[in-house]
Amino acid sequence: MTRVSGLEPVSLFRRREIWIWLGLVTLAALFPLTQPTTARLLMTMQMFLLITLATNWNLIGGMTGYVDFGHLTFFGVGAYTVGILMTRSKEVLFAPQLPFWQALPFAGLMAMLFAFLLGMATLRLRGPYFSIAMLATLLAMRELTRLASPLTGGGAGLDLPPELNRVQEYYITLGLMTLSVGLIWWIRNTEFGLSLLAIREDEIGAEMRGINTTLHKTVAFSLAAFLTGLVGGFWAWQNTYIDPDVVFFEPRNLEMIMAAVLGGLGTVWGPPLGAAVLYWLREFFWSRFLLAHLLGLGIMLMLVVLFLPGGIVGLMGRRGSVSLASLWQLRPFASSQQEENP
Amino acid sequence: MRRYPLLFTVLLIAALVLVACPAPATAPATGGQEAAQPAAGGQEAAQAQEEMPKVIRIGAAVSETGRYAREGGDTRQGYILWMEWVNNEYGGIKVGDERYQVELILYDDESNPDTVTRLTEKLITEDKVQFLLGPYSSGLTKAASAISEKYQIIMVEGNGASDSLFERGFQYLFAVLTPASRYTQSGLKALADAGARSAVIAYKDSPFPKSVAQGAEQWAQEYGMEVLAVESYPADINDATALMAKFKELDPDVFVGAGHFVDGVLLARNAEEVDFTPKAFMLTVGPSNPEFVEELGKTSEQIIGPTQWERNMAWEGPYLGTAEEYAQRYEKRWGEPPTYQAAESTATALALQIAIEMAGTLETDAVRQALLDMDVVTFYGPINFDETGKNLAKPMGAIQIQDGQILVIAPEEAAVADLVYPMTPWKER
Repeated sequence: MTRVSGLEPVSLFRRREIWIWLGLVTLAALFPLTQPTTARLLMTMQMFLLITLATNWNLIGGMTGYVDFGHLTFFGVGAYTVGILMTRSKEVLFAPQLPFWQALPFAGLMAMLFAFLLGMATLRLRGPYFSIAMLATLLAMRELTRLASPLTGGGAGLDLPPELNRVQEYYITLGLMTLSVGLIWWIRNTEFGLSLLAIREDEIGAEMRGINTTLHKTVAFSLAAFLTGLVGGFWAWQNTYIDPDVVFFEPRNLEMIMAAVLGGLGTVWGPPLGAAVLYWLREFFWSRFLLAHLLGLGIMLMLVVLFLPGGIVGLMGRRGSVSLASLWQLRPFASSQQEENP
Repeated sequence: MRRYPLLFTVLLIAALVLVACPAPATAPATGGQEAAQPAAGGQEAAQAQEEMPKVIRIGAAVSETGRYAREGGDTRQGYILWMEWVNNEYGGIKVGDERYQVELILYDDESNPDTVTRLTEKLITEDKVQFLLGPYSSGLTKAASAISEKYQIIMVEGNGASDSLFERGFQYLFAVLTPASRYTQSGLKALADAGARSAVIAYKDSPFPKSVAQGAEQWAQEYGMEVLAVESYPADINDATALMAKFKELDPDVFVGAGHFVDGVLLARNAEEVDFTPKAFMLTVGPSNPEFVEELGKTSEQIIGPTQWERNMAWEGPYLGTAEEYAQRYEKRWGEPPTYQAAESTATALALQIAIEMAGTLETDAVRQALLDMDVVTFYGPINFDETGKNLAKPMGAIQIQDGQILVIAPEEAAVADLVYPMTPWKER
C-alpha cells in the first residue's frame, strides 16, 4: 500500500519511448508497401487488434485496478451496433441503412453509453465482486442478443455486406492500435492517470485526498469501452457475419486479459508487448501441437500468475507493473476500512 | 521506464520481419502434413512422380480442434479419402487428355472465425490453391466464402447447410448438401401420406435449427398438416419438460425437434417423462447417429430423423460405386463407419472433380459453368446446382430407428424399410 508505483513526475514528449513508439508505427504503416501477401497482412492485423484490446483492458483492469472479466461485452455492443445499423436499421429503427464508415462511430458511442450506465451499478463493487458481476454481464448479454431476434437476428445472427479490402482494414487496425496505446500513454502521464493509480492503490485514501473517484472510474471505464466498441464494430464488418457465439467468443475475452497480465498490468508498454508475444507464440509454436495448444495457453496463464506476477515488464526490474493477485487482495482490505469509516 | 520500450521495439521488429520473409516455418499448421503431400504412398504415385505429373492444388481449412473438432475430423477424413482414391486408384483428374494429381492442403481452423479467415487468405495468396473445399459449419463457411468470393476462387462445400449462405448472391460458392429448410421435407411427406394431420415444432435458437424449423412449418402446411405451435428453446437448454408438457396439451400427430445431438436426446427423454406421445417423433441430427440408440435405448425406438446420407440408401454413381461400397471403403481406410458429414465431404470433392473433367480445363469460369450445368448421380445422391449454388436435386432422406437399426424410410427411391406409424407409446415399451 505504501509502494505507489510509477508516480515519478514526467514531462510529455521528453520521453524517449514515445518517439520509439511513433517510429514503430511508421514502420508498421510502411509494411503494406513491401507487398506482403494478404494472409500476412491479416496476421499482423489480428495482432494489432489483440494489442488494442489488451491495452484498453489495461486501462480499467491494470491502471484503475478493476479487474474486468466481461470486457468483451463492449466488443459485442460495438459489433452489434455496426451489424444492426448496416443491415437492419430500415426494419427496426426506420432510418436509412448506414455504410460502414458512418456506422463505426456509433459502435464506440453505444459501447461508451452502455459502459457509463453499467458502470454506475458495477463500479460500486470491488475486487472479485466486480469481476464476477462483469462476467455475469457478458453471459447475460450473449443470451440477450439471442432473445432479441427482431433486432439482432437471434441465434442466426446478421450477415453484413462482404466488402473486404485488407489493406484498408490494416490501416484501420493500425489506427485503432496507435490511438489506444497513445491514449493510455498520455493518460499515464497526466494527473488523471495518477488519480487512477491512486484509486487502484487505495481508493478510500484517494477519495480522502479529494479525488472524485466515481467520476474518474466511470471515465476510465467508458473510455476503455469506447475503443473496445470500435474494435468490435470493425471486427463485425471484416468478418462479414455476426452471431452471439462468434461475437461473445470466450477465447477472445481470455486472450485479451492474458495478454495484459503477461505483459505487465498497469504499465503502458506491458500489454502491447504481452499481446505481441502471446500472438506470435500461439502462431509459431503452439499451433504445431494441436490439442496441446489450448492446454499450453492455460498452463502459461497459470505460470504467469504464479511466478511472473509483474509480467514481462515486471521481470525486467521494478517497472511499475502490478500483479493480478494484488489487485484483488487490495480490495477486501479497502472495503473493510470503509466499514470503519463513518 | 527506459529499457522496455526498446525490448518491445526489438520484438515488434522481429515479428514484422517474421511476417515479411517467406519463412518455411509457416508450413501446414497441423495434421495436414500427411495430406499436404500428394499421397506419396504406393508405387503408382512414385511412378507418376517420375513422369512429371501435373498437379492441381486444392485447399481447405477444417476444424481439428475446438468446438467442431469431431465433425471437422469426419470432414477431413472424407476429403483425404477422396484424394487418395483419385490419385492412387483413379489415376488423377482428367483434364482434356491429361491427368492431374491432386495436392490437398488442409489446415486446422481451430473452429475460430478469425483463424478460418486467415487460413483461407493464406491458401489463396500464399499456397496459390486453384480451388477451395469448405470448412465445417455454416458460420465458418460464411466467413471463408466471403474471401473466396472476393478472389473469385470456386469453393465447393458440403458442411454449411444454413440457407442464408446462399442469399448473399455469391457466384463462386456451391454446396452439395441439401439446405436446412428442406431437412424435414421427405419425412413429413411420408408422415402426411400415412395420415398425419397436425404438427408441433420446437427448435434450438441457432442458425441451422432455425432454418430447419422454418422449412418444417412450410412443408407441414404444404402437405396438409395444421401447425399447432412453433417454439424455440435456448442453445444451452437442460430441461425441456415444461415445453413437452405444453405440447402434450395440444395433442399433435407429429412432433418435430430441430437441434443437435445433445438437445435431441434431452427432448426425447423429457417427452417420455411427461408422457407426451405424438404419433410420430422426429428429431434432427441425433437419430442418424448410432450413438443415439446407445444413449437412449428403448426410448429411441421408432424415432424419425432426417439424414443427408445413409450407407443403406440406394444411390449409385460412376465414381466410388454405391453408397454401401463407399461405406466399406471408408471403413477399411479409417477403421470406423462413415458419418454423413464424411460422406458429404467426399461428395463435395467429387463434385469439384466432375466439374473440372466436364470443363476440360482449370479455368475458373469454365469450371463454374460446368458446376452450374452439372446433373449427375453419385454414391451420395443426385447433384444438380441451381443458380445460387444450392443442390436442390438431392432429396433429404428420412430414417426411422427400428429394433435398434437405422433404416431409411423415405424418399421412396432410397427407402429400405416401411414407416411404422403411429409409434408405440413410451409406456407400452
